Amino acid sequence: MSTLSVSRRLLLQGAAAVAALSAAPRAGWAQSGKRLVVAADSEPKNLNPAIVASNGVFYVASKVIEPLADASFEGKDGLSPRLATAWEGSADGLSVTFRLREGVTWHDGKPFTAEDVAFSALNVWKPLQNLGRLVFANLQDVDTPDAHTAIFRFSKPTPFQLVRNALPAVTAVLPKHLYEGTDIATNPANTQLVGTGPFRFAEHKAGQYYRLTRNDAYWEKDAPRVDEIVYRVLPDRAAAAGALEANEIQLAAFSQVPLSDLERIAKVDGIVVYSKGYEALTYQLVVEINHRRKELADLKVRQAIAHAIDRDFVVKTIFLGYAAASTGIVPRNAPEFYTDDVPAYPFDVAKANALLDEAGYKKGANGTRFSLKLLPAPYFSETRQFGDYLRQALAAIGIDAQLVNNDSAAHQKAVYTDHAFDLAVAPPVFRGDPAISTTILVKSGTPDGVPFSNQGGYANPALDALIDKANETVDVAARTALFKQFQKLVGEDLPLINVAEWGFITVARSSVKNVSNNPRWAVSNWADTDLES
Amino acid sequence: MSVLGRLSRSPEGLFGCAILLALIAAALLAPVLFPRDPLSIAGPALLKPFTDPALPLGTDRLGRDVLAGLVHGARASLAVGLAAAFVAILFGAMLGTLAGFAGGIVDEALMRVVDAFQVVPSFLLALAFVSVAGASLPVVVVSIALGAWTAPARLARAEVLSIRERDYVAAARVIGMHPAEIAFRQILPNALPPVLALSSVIVAGAVLIEAALSFLGLGDPNIVTWGSMIAEGRNVLRSAPFLSLAPGVALVLTVLGVYLFGEGVSEALSSRRIQA
Repeated sequence: MSTLSVSRRLLLQGAAAVAALSAAPRAGWAQSGKRLVVAADSEPKNLNPAIVASNGVFYVASKVIEPLADASFEGKDGLSPRLATAWEGSADGLSVTFRLREGVTWHDGKPFTAEDVAFSALNVWKPLQNLGRLVFANLQDVDTPDAHTAIFRFSKPTPFQLVRNALPAVTAVLPKHLYEGTDIATNPANTQLVGTGPFRFAEHKAGQYYRLTRNDAYWEKDAPRVDEIVYRVLPDRAAAAGALEANEIQLAAFSQVPLSDLERIAKVDGIVVYSKGYEALTYQLVVEINHRRKELADLKVRQAIAHAIDRDFVVKTIFLGYAAASTGIVPRNAPEFYTDDVPAYPFDVAKANALLDEAGYKKGANGTRFSLKLLPAPYFSETRQFGDYLRQALAAIGIDAQLVNNDSAAHQKAVYTDHAFDLAVAPPVFRGDPAISTTILVKSGTPDGVPFSNQGGYANPALDALIDKANETVDVAARTALFKQFQKLVGEDLPLINVAEWGFITVARSSVKNVSNNPRWAVSNWADTDLES
Repeated sequence: MSVLGRLSRSPEGLFGCAILLALIAAALLAPVLFPRDPLSIAGPALLKPFTDPALPLGTDRLGRDVLAGLVHGARASLAVGLAAAFVAILFGAMLGTLAGFAGGIVDEALMRVVDAFQVVPSFLLALAFVSVAGASLPVVVVSIALGAWTAPARLARAEVLSIRERDYVAAARVIGMHPAEIAFRQILPNALPPVLALSSVIVAGAVLIEAALSFLGLGDPNIVTWGSMIAEGRNVLRSAPFLSLAPGVALVLTVLGVYLFGEGVSEALSSRRIQA
């Protein structure tokens, strides 16, 4: 009976997908023909990228609402201009001046001005946005001497390096005339987006699709190249590969086609696999540690766990080679900050066992030293598989780890609010600068309930002081040096254990052109993406 | 002629019995045959079946022994199936007897409770219960029993309604036996056989629900179950279909075995009745 209900569920999903296709409006189809259909695995309700800076939101919203600048392979400092054309920080770190693009209009026809930037920065990025809260913590005011200049004034020195690195992710500009005087968090424009981007938001049919249409008044010449983008909601990962092969969708990003299927699908005619285009969105596989547990508060135990993990196995078997072993808390993809001058923890079971013996946790009669609760994050099949692997790796050094599986909401509550874990597997993202979403993983003093932050009760005054100092060091070289020191200190004290780092894989039909041509491609504006018929 | 003798003459009953015995043997001998944790990594990942004599059925995506998983998975499936059926029948028969014997308002109230449970599909009930109470073996057993106790309850009530009018029950009343004693010592044992005949259906359903829960990631992650093996294999369905097929076949055989055995037993029982 129950297998029947499972297969019925799959059937219903399939039926819903078919219905979505047939229900998708036909009007635009006849006129243009250049319709790009892509797979979406999640369906965020609040699509406002200025409030929720996450990749699931950006995937759709980045085509509609633009940041001041986006990441680029060729551009100066790895940036290419969007709504800002030039930016400059003052030597004292107390102000940053943006020159804004002229002749840009919102999708509703109103002109884009510096007022919109000032409003977004002061009323949205700083008080409401998950990442902007940190980057713009000391933002005091935004001066608008003319319609196309915005001067950010900070109460304390804020490194220009940080502001620059944060531009792609945190500076989505909202239209002031739609948000002013309203409750920003519940404004209807959060779901019916209005921006300046190459595509207008047309509609969202829950459970079926999002549809974006061409913005004919886009500021960039000859862009966008396609007339319509449809995001088909396909929560079942196995379905994306089949839909691609049948040419029902033309693109699946964020590894929606499972890694294990890539070798096979790469050989299919008319399908291309791209591993580029995620360099500025490096995900890190991390073991979070609850330092409230007596055993785990002991550095020797943490070192033993680090030695017990075979990073090579993780990369080769779990990620099938589509990842790299981590050396520390900053990934190799951030050459500006990365250093390999950190303590290394090579795979060595004998050494791990010796460290645990030294720490005073002898093996009991049944071969176990102590038991732990291990909570793998449910977001990716790789994080779950790594949980399975870690349990075995810990068993080899006499630690009995009991897996606890939760859904996303329950996992976040258990780890980040209730602290009901001993070890957890997390996939935090490195976003171009350690101060944006990385130092928060080890710094003390974050209130309970903030996801992807240090909720393991770890407090190291030396490390906190180092982070605070880096946050107000304006000089680029000095700040970079501080972050190299930071990596070393984290490596020595192991507040968490970095295992691997990975970018995602995009699979597309060969008819889709200009794929993966910037380091945040999946969440960039797709103005130059083209579709050959 | 004994029930066993009659069972041995029905081919399907015999077949079901053989499958069940093999499964029980596998479940009991699992720690002897595969003393290592079946979730431990035993070899290279995605080894094809029948290539390495040490790993006859190959390995899964992490390099875990598929045969060890199947054998240990039999333990989980049978344990959950039998325990859930036991709990469901025990609970159902008791409540059914109570309702049938007491009659009146008690009967009405209990039967409305049964109705309430019967209108919710048993799989959804199990799904909801496990996601609230957390995934572990006892919780899974209770969650399955929650949806399965109503059928035995209704059947027991119907039987009791007919039995309580018999002469020997009246006699028991006359000699001053306590009503509870009459219900559970005189009536229940006689009402039980048709209820027990339901057990095979319940066991088979329980095995399937357990597999479906594990498939959806709501089983106990620290033990191997066939459902979780199928779910794991689903990710590589196109390149290594064997990983889903092997536990799937085991599941089909188990359910088939239980059904056939149950069928055989009830046939043997009914022919004895006719002869008697």
